[in-house]
Amino acid sequence: MNKIVRHPASFKDPAGFIFESGGKIYRQVNQRYADEFKLLIDSGLYAKLTSQKQLLSHSAVADNFTGDNEWFTTILPEQLEHISYPYEWSFDQLRDAALLTLSILKTAITHGMILKDATAFNIQFHKGRPVFIDTLSFGKYDPEKPWVAYRQFCEQFLFPLYLEHYLKTDMIPLLSAHHTGISASLTARLLPWRSKWNLGVRLHVLLQRNVSERKQEPNPRITFSKTKLMNVILHLESIIKGLKNRYSEQTTWSNYYDETILGPQYLAAKEKLVTEFLTGMEFSTVLDLGANDGHFTRLVASMGKDVVAADSDSKCINGLYAYAKETKSTNILPLVIDLSNPSPAIGFGNNERAAFGSRMKSDVVLALALIHHLVIGKNIPFDLVANYFASFGKILIVEFVPREDEKVKQLLSSREDVFDDYDERGFEKSFLRHYSIRKKQVIPGTFRVLYSLERI
Amino acid sequence: MIVNMILLYVDPGSGSYLVQVIIAAILGALFYFKNLWWQIKAFFTRKKEEPPVEDKPDE
Repeated sequence: MNKIVRHPASFKDPAGFIFESGGKIYRQVNQRYADEFKLLIDSGLYAKLTSQKQLLSHSAVADNFTGDNEWFTTILPEQLEHISYPYEWSFDQLRDAALLTLSILKTAITHGMILKDATAFNIQFHKGRPVFIDTLSFGKYDPEKPWVAYRQFCEQFLFPLYLEHYLKTDMIPLLSAHHTGISASLTARLLPWRSKWNLGVRLHVLLQRNVSERKQEPNPRITFSKTKLMNVILHLESIIKGLKNRYSEQTTWSNYYDETILGPQYLAAKEKLVTEFLTGMEFSTVLDLGANDGHFTRLVASMGKDVVAADSDSKCINGLYAYAKETKSTNILPLVIDLSNPSPAIGFGNNERAAFGSRMKSDVVLALALIHHLVIGKNIPFDLVANYFASFGKILIVEFVPREDEKVKQLLSSREDVFDDYDERGFEKSFLRHYSIRKKQVIPGTFRVLYSLERI
Repeated sequence: MIVNMILLYVDPGSGSYLVQVIIAAILGALFYFKNLWWQIKAFFTRKKEEPPVEDKPDE
C-alpha cells in the first residue's frame, strides 16, 4: 500500500480532501458528500462543465487509499503541471478566474446545484486557461436561500479587482497577507472618493460593510428566489466584465526593455545563442526568471516546452497572459513574482500554501538580463543568487551583464558602487560552486556573456 | 439608507444573506424601471411599423 500524504491545505471541507500517493494527486470523497456527488454526475452538470473545460475532469478509482470509514469514493483528477496562487496572478488572470467562477455558478444553478464556496484557490491555470478544481464544491441548490459564498466571492475576487481598478496600482499581492480575501471594510477604506459614486461599489462594498458591522438581534425572515439570485450574479458579472486592466492607459515605463538600450541586433544574436545552447538537450519544463515581456518565454514555448514566466512587473505578465490567450497557447503560465521577495509559504503552520520556490522546479532555468538587477539593484551577492537559482533546476542559462554594459552603468550611476567583486571572475567564482560550465559565449556586439551551466 | 430600518441578523460567516436580499431588491427595481423605459422608447421608435401578427398553427 502506497504512502498517503494528505495535502496540508485540504482540511476545511468535511466533504473530502486532497492527498498525494505514488506521485499523483487524488481526492477522497466522504460519505456525507455522497448524495451531492451523485447529483453532480446525474444532473449532467459534471458532463457539461468538463466538456466546456471549465471543471477539471477526473476518473473514479475504486480503492480506499486511506482506509477511512468515512470513505465513499476516490477520484483521480487530471493532474496539473503547476500550482499557482491568486496573489501571483495579474489583473486579467484574476478577472478571468472570477468570471469562470460566476459562469460555473450559473450553469450549476440550471442543474439544481450551487457552489458552496467561491474561494480563488478553487481555480488553477491549466494548459493556459483557468479551470475550477474543487469537484466537491457543489451543493444542492435551495432557491429560498441566498448564495452562501457571495461574501467570499466578493472578498477574494471583486474587492481586489476593484482596488486595482480604482487605485491603479498593484493590489492583488495583498491577497498573500489577506489570504482569506480582503474585507469589505478594508476595501471601503482604501477606495478613493470617486468610487462611491458607482452603484456596484455602493451595493457590494459599502452596503456589505455597513450591514456586516451591525450587531442585531436574530430575525431570520429572509426570502429569496432564483430570479433574485440571478439578479445578483448577473450584476456581479457585468461589473467584473466592465473592469479593464489599467495597462493600456499607462504610458509608464515598465522596466522596458533592458535590451532596447543595446539595439535590435543584440536581441537577434541572443535569440540565436539561446536556441543554440538549448538544442540537443533533453528537457520539457522551463522556468523563465525575470521574463520581462516574455520574448524568450515565447521562444522556448515555440519549441514545445512547458514554460513558467516569472517577472515582478505586472504589466509585462498581464501582456504575456493576453498573448497566450490570444494565441490559445497551452504551455505558458505567466506569474507576477518579485524574485527578491517571492511568494512565501502561508496559512496555518505556514503550510497551507507552499512558497514559490518549492512549486516551481523545472529542467531548465533562464536568467536572462536579470543578474545585474538582483546583484546591483537588490544588493544580493553572487553566492546567494547562484544558490537560489540552483534550487530550481539542473540547467541554468544565465546572462552575465558586466560593468561595461550601458545598463549596469545606469544602475551604478545613481548609487554607491560597493560591488568590488562584480565582474566575470567574481561571477564565475560563485557560480562554479554550484555549476559547471557547459557553454560560454559573448553575445556579439555587446559585453554581455551567455552561459549554459549544469548543476553539479 | 434603508438598512438602518431593518433589524435582521447577519452572521459574519453567513455569506451576507441580508445584503443579497437588499441588492436583489434594488436591482429588481432598477431593472423594472429600465425595462419600462425601454418599452416606452421602443413604442415611440416602432410606431411606424405594423404590430406583429401571430399566425395560428393549423391542426
